[in-house]
Amino acid sequence: MSDQIEQALSKQYEAGFYSEIESDTFENGLDESVIRRISAIKNEPEWMLEWRLKAYRSWLEMEEPEWAHVDYEKVDYQAISYYSSPKSMKDKPKSLDEVDPDLLDVYNKLGIPLHEQEMLAGVAVDAVFDSVSVVTTFREKLEEAGVIFCPISEAIQKYPELVKKYIGSVVPRTDNYFAALNSAVFTDGSFVYIPKGVRCPMELSTYFRINEQNTGQFERTLIVADEGSHVSYLEGCTAPQRDENQLHAAVVELVALDKANIKYSTVQNWYPGDENGKGGIYNFVTKRGICHNDAKISWTQVETGSSVTWKYPSCVLKGDNSIGEFYSVALTRGRQQADTGTKMIHLGKNTRSTIISKGISAGKSNNAYRGLVQMGPKADNARNFTQCDSLLIGDQCGAHTFPYIESRNPSAIVEHEATTSKVSDEQMFLCQQRGLDAEKAVSMIVNGFCKEVFKELPMEFAVEAGKLLEISLEGSVG
Amino acid sequence: MSQWLSEVIAEGQRQNDWLSGNRQQATAALANVKWPVRRQEAWRFTPLVPVEKRTVSLAGPSEQQSTAPVIDGLEAYSLSFTGNQLSDEQGQVPEGLTFTLFSKADEAQQASIQALLGQVKPSHHLFGQVNDALLTEGVYIHVPANTVIDTPIRLTQLAASAGDQHLRVLVHIEAGAKVSVIEDGFGDADSLNTFVSEYVLEAQAELEHYRFAMYTQQAMHVGSCHFKVAEKAQLTSNIVGYGSVLSRLDVDVEYTGEFANANLNAIYLLAEGELFDLHSTIEHAVPNCTTEENARGIVGDRAKAVFNGRIHIHRDAQKTLAELNNRNLLLSRRAVVNTKPELEIYADDVRCAHGATVAEIEEKALYYLLTRGISRSQALIMLNFGFIQELITQIPNAAVSDWLLHRLRERFVSMEVK
Repeated sequence: MSDQIEQALSKQYEAGFYSEIESDTFENGLDESVIRRISAIKNEPEWMLEWRLKAYRSWLEMEEPEWAHVDYEKVDYQAISYYSSPKSMKDKPKSLDEVDPDLLDVYNKLGIPLHEQEMLAGVAVDAVFDSVSVVTTFREKLEEAGVIFCPISEAIQKYPELVKKYIGSVVPRTDNYFAALNSAVFTDGSFVYIPKGVRCPMELSTYFRINEQNTGQFERTLIVADEGSHVSYLEGCTAPQRDENQLHAAVVELVALDKANIKYSTVQNWYPGDENGKGGIYNFVTKRGICHNDAKISWTQVETGSSVTWKYPSCVLKGDNSIGEFYSVALTRGRQQADTGTKMIHLGKNTRSTIISKGISAGKSNNAYRGLVQMGPKADNARNFTQCDSLLIGDQCGAHTFPYIESRNPSAIVEHEATTSKVSDEQMFLCQQRGLDAEKAVSMIVNGFCKEVFKELPMEFAVEAGKLLEISLEGSVG
Repeated sequence: MSQWLSEVIAEGQRQNDWLSGNRQQATAALANVKWPVRRQEAWRFTPLVPVEKRTVSLAGPSEQQSTAPVIDGLEAYSLSFTGNQLSDEQGQVPEGLTFTLFSKADEAQQASIQALLGQVKPSHHLFGQVNDALLTEGVYIHVPANTVIDTPIRLTQLAASAGDQHLRVLVHIEAGAKVSVIEDGFGDADSLNTFVSEYVLEAQAELEHYRFAMYTQQAMHVGSCHFKVAEKAQLTSNIVGYGSVLSRLDVDVEYTGEFANANLNAIYLLAEGELFDLHSTIEHAVPNCTTEENARGIVGDRAKAVFNGRIHIHRDAQKTLAELNNRNLLLSRRAVVNTKPELEIYADDVRCAHGATVAEIEEKALYYLLTRGISRSQALIMLNFGFIQELITQIPNAAVSDWLLHRLRERFVSMEVK
């Protein structure tokens, strides 16, 4: 590539940068110049750009994975715009009156306050009055504790050393197809750093990062919990989120240093597509955490949205005595497809992991658990317990279990159990006899089925998750 | 495509006999095969490198006199095959069934063989196709309706000499008939064996089946057993695997009629640097069938065990009951187990469960025996071996069960001593 072209390209960006970024939306397509422009807009240091370019080059060499039990129309990566600045107020609905009434109906059922509804539906509001004050006090409190919680682009500017040290250390650039793509083009996401011995004074939630409302399709989250610290992080929300981007390829990296504890909870409810499965979101996420000595990482997820989900939050139990946990409820209906599960890589001694996965399939959906439990040769006395239960509602859906168990240590114990059942006639009869209608009865039974996972969620989240399942199951019965 | 596979195709095309039609079909299919690499799920943990390195050479008649190990107390019609031909025959063909060697089939028999050949195994089965292309000897057993055959039939394949052997077994059990077939393989010669058997069980037929893949050392084995099970038919299959440089067994059961059931027990006992890979696939294509599968393995030294148990319940297969259990004991720090019990379910009114464990002997159990004055090594043998003994004692044929118990214990003790 000639220098002239390079120059021309950077010029173009310069103009774009110094004028209002707001109007900046890249034309469709992906090549190195797009990545240079993203990096320049974010005013990133040279090493970050290099990192992105390396990721992009290896992505070009990779093939889209096909092993998952999902079937979808392949994404045309040249038909996506890889950067669009926050939407201008003009394009947004002026008030809730302009928002799809079905969406509002769901919000009301979930009991979401009015101003939050506006935010979720993407209504143009200058300032979300209540939230602003909440966020301000919130930030003050965090600063007091020394916790860093900011957009990742800001962290690259302000804390380059931390970011440089940990980014890609858990999910390498070349980890997989979607992670490589994300590494090349990510524009958004959170950075969290909890200093030594600090217990984060509150649950951190993406929800409070108000300047980053328009979460991008290539999010990158990095959470570093220094020695002996403690943090609970909530991602997503129960309300159905509108989004124009079909492909979501996020990367989440967790680093739990010695004796640190990270709890990561997700509720995912992206648009699942219409009844034929058209137009739904593809959620191809790479989430992984690394545990040093005596550290603990706990993943809890409630997945009800997206038309295709491809997601395996994992723990690398590198340190001795570290603990990994995975609690998941995945509900699919309509034509949704989910291939989700976890990986527990036991490397250190006395490492322990627990996997509880509950899959619920309704309608014409397919729900697969795919998990890996690996015991390394040095993982003496390591222990894993896995339980995967599937519930089928209706005879047009599918429930699948693909657990991989690889053991190389005789003192390690791995136990895997899986069952598949349906909501039994007896259970239904019992509930209905007591005056519950069929729908209420199913939702009660399903809630009971998921109880083990819900109890791991922070309380408000758990209540909402229960309600969310109830709403999602509407119309699936009978 | 691998060099080896091209040689297989060339060799298959060169063979000229009454099976040429089948061979042509197979070689044509093989020409389009994508040679499995580790990225392919079915061969993920079992690299085919040792096969790739081979050159195709069909084993000729062996000069040494080799006969199958004797199973004391077993009264069976026994045939041994070495170097692609019949090398030993004991007993009489049981009354009531027709028994045909491929090499001695008359025209009518050739027609019935051709009608059945390849009808049970999945068409895409790679080493099944290799067997189709290269098989040199086979056995065709036909049991007429409502005939109960008391004498078991034992078919032994001996990897006694270098070179490849491709034995084929075809068994057709008509409605209401009952038979017992023991297939076993022994030997450690530098060879490659595809031992493919196909069984058709018609309505209410009963089959007591044994497959002992006891190849060791340099005897590569890539075999398979395929069953089609019709209405109310019953299949019990007992599998034993040792490991060699590469030993792989695929077991496929497909239900074609309702209210049928299959009971599969598998044991593997691996030492040194052996590899044994057991893949089972149960296709519940119709409602109301029952499967119970238990696989247990002990893996010592640097050995590697691979287990993949797939249960696939099709859309209409309501009221299916299926259970699969795989348990493994690791005896050494260098031993490896890769297990994957899979469920793929498309019907809602079914009860399915699977479980898998990998562990060592519980300290408490060991302690209990030690407090009773049993030496540590003796206690370990009792506990470890007891783990698979449970399945051996369930074997319906007493003579076979005793023989296995003895033989496996011997092998186990020799493993322990190292």
